[in-house]
Amino acid sequence: MSALLEVRSVSKFFGGVKANQDVSFSVESGIVLGLIGPNGAGKTTLFNCITGFYPPSRGDVFFEGKRINGLSPDQVCKLGMVRTWQKVRPLAKLTVLDNAVVGALCRTSSVAEAKKIALEQLRVVGLEKRAPALAGGLPIGERKKLELARVLATRPRMILLDEVMGGLNARESEEIIDLILAVKKRGLTQVVIEHDMKAIVRTCDRIVVLNSGEKLAEGSPQQIVNDPRVMTAYLGDSGGAKA
Amino acid sequence: MKTLIPLAMAVVVLALIPLWVESPYALHIFILLFIGIALGESWNVVGGFAGQYSVGHSAWYGIGAYGAFILLQKINLAPWFGVWVAVALSVLAALAVGFITFRLRGPYFVLASIAVAEIIRLLALNTKDLTNGAEGILSPDLPPLKLGGAVITDWNSKIPYFYMGLAMALFCIAVNFAVKRSKLGYYLQAIREDQDAAHSLGIPPTLSKNAALAISAACTALVGSFAAFYVGFIEPQQVFGIDVSIQMVLTAIIGGIGTVAGPVLGAVVLVLISEGLRTTIAQAHLLVYGILVIVVILVMPDGFLGFISQRLRRKAAVE
Repeated sequence: MSALLEVRSVSKFFGGVKANQDVSFSVESGIVLGLIGPNGAGKTTLFNCITGFYPPSRGDVFFEGKRINGLSPDQVCKLGMVRTWQKVRPLAKLTVLDNAVVGALCRTSSVAEAKKIALEQLRVVGLEKRAPALAGGLPIGERKKLELARVLATRPRMILLDEVMGGLNARESEEIIDLILAVKKRGLTQVVIEHDMKAIVRTCDRIVVLNSGEKLAEGSPQQIVNDPRVMTAYLGDSGGAKA
Repeated sequence: MKTLIPLAMAVVVLALIPLWVESPYALHIFILLFIGIALGESWNVVGGFAGQYSVGHSAWYGIGAYGAFILLQKINLAPWFGVWVAVALSVLAALAVGFITFRLRGPYFVLASIAVAEIIRLLALNTKDLTNGAEGILSPDLPPLKLGGAVITDWNSKIPYFYMGLAMALFCIAVNFAVKRSKLGYYLQAIREDQDAAHSLGIPPTLSKNAALAISAACTALVGSFAAFYVGFIEPQQVFGIDVSIQMVLTAIIGGIGTVAGPVLGAVVLVLISEGLRTTIAQAHLLVYGILVIVVILVMPDGFLGFISQRLRRKAAVE
């Protein structure tokens, strides 16, 4: 398997703050990679560097073998990589359908065709009945699904999900886990930022752990769960490692 | 189709008005209304759909007006040809400005748009050889409009202006319709709602906003030159002043921003108010504008159109 995405010693500095330092990993086609780490570890910053919202201060990002740092987010999306937002960003005054249409227009110039693609993707996430509703009026669970439908409508090769389960109840999280697995079955590569370890273990093939901007560990879910350094990063030093 | 039939009927009724209304004042009100509608719709493309609240559209209005006037005066180019040169100039200027100012967001963009219009006003004031400065330009006599050998009009009554104005208003409405349903329309609305989200979904924000501004500036320049010839006189403050820009913004806000019908409604309200008050309290009609804006923002944040359609929906829900 060849790497679809390769992050090569990426660093991002904000003045003196080292948000990411020398982070490297690669994501093979078709897998789900978990990106975990305590708050402030630099996960979202890394997403921003990968998808073109920030230029990395150092290092390179390759997508399908092509160097993409320096490209703008819309160009990255056109190449087939698209992200969701930790704090959901529905286009509030547009309908649910039109939100997905906006995504679908990434691949087609015909609004009619975009509507067809959009409806398909709403069906995938189970929002087709909400199509005519205004996106701003959706409850959080449906907003998260709309984020997913919207990125799927861009017909990506790879999606980066920034805490799609944050703020959801157990049943809603369960639905999202099923969706991630269904999307994986369709061959889409995914990078998932998540705090819920149970969800991570169930969905991810491999996990990268960030701590204070640096890569702390990488491995299979079993390896990561049993890694004492990861425990320490999350729970601190004083005896927490036993938990 | 549902909206097209009443629209077509309204157009036919309007087109027949000069046949049974002879009062020049009544025709004048209609012409003002058409100009108001066309300006509101022009602004709506960039202000309503893209959510970029330009308060500097007088720049494009004025370039349209001065461009067509100067071309007629200096090289005797008939306005119906000259206006296209003026429109092209206005689009070029708008793109140059947009390229710089669209990097700014929210209030900073608004301030930049005001500054740009001021700069252009001062330019017009000080390039005396071209613009005749603060004294302004009195419209030279318009050559008669001919088609083949037949004279269509010699511009001696308000009726040709009435039809030109009507055509212009319809054109600007049609432009809004087309933009709203197009790919660009979706892009602009997505940018208005959340620029970063739009950007992540493959939308190039600066390019899209510039496209909207180009369309908006072209329409505004077209209306500007028409209005200038209708009034027959231009000077920098009158066409480049902030009053023109504010009028455009208010038309859209009061009617219903980001909708096609909103600016039509807004123009009706504003023209009726300003004409109704001009005779009684003269300049104080600006005061009434101000109060109206406050009321609209407080009571009906989606404008008259949003207010009415919400009422209708509520009524339908009760029944």
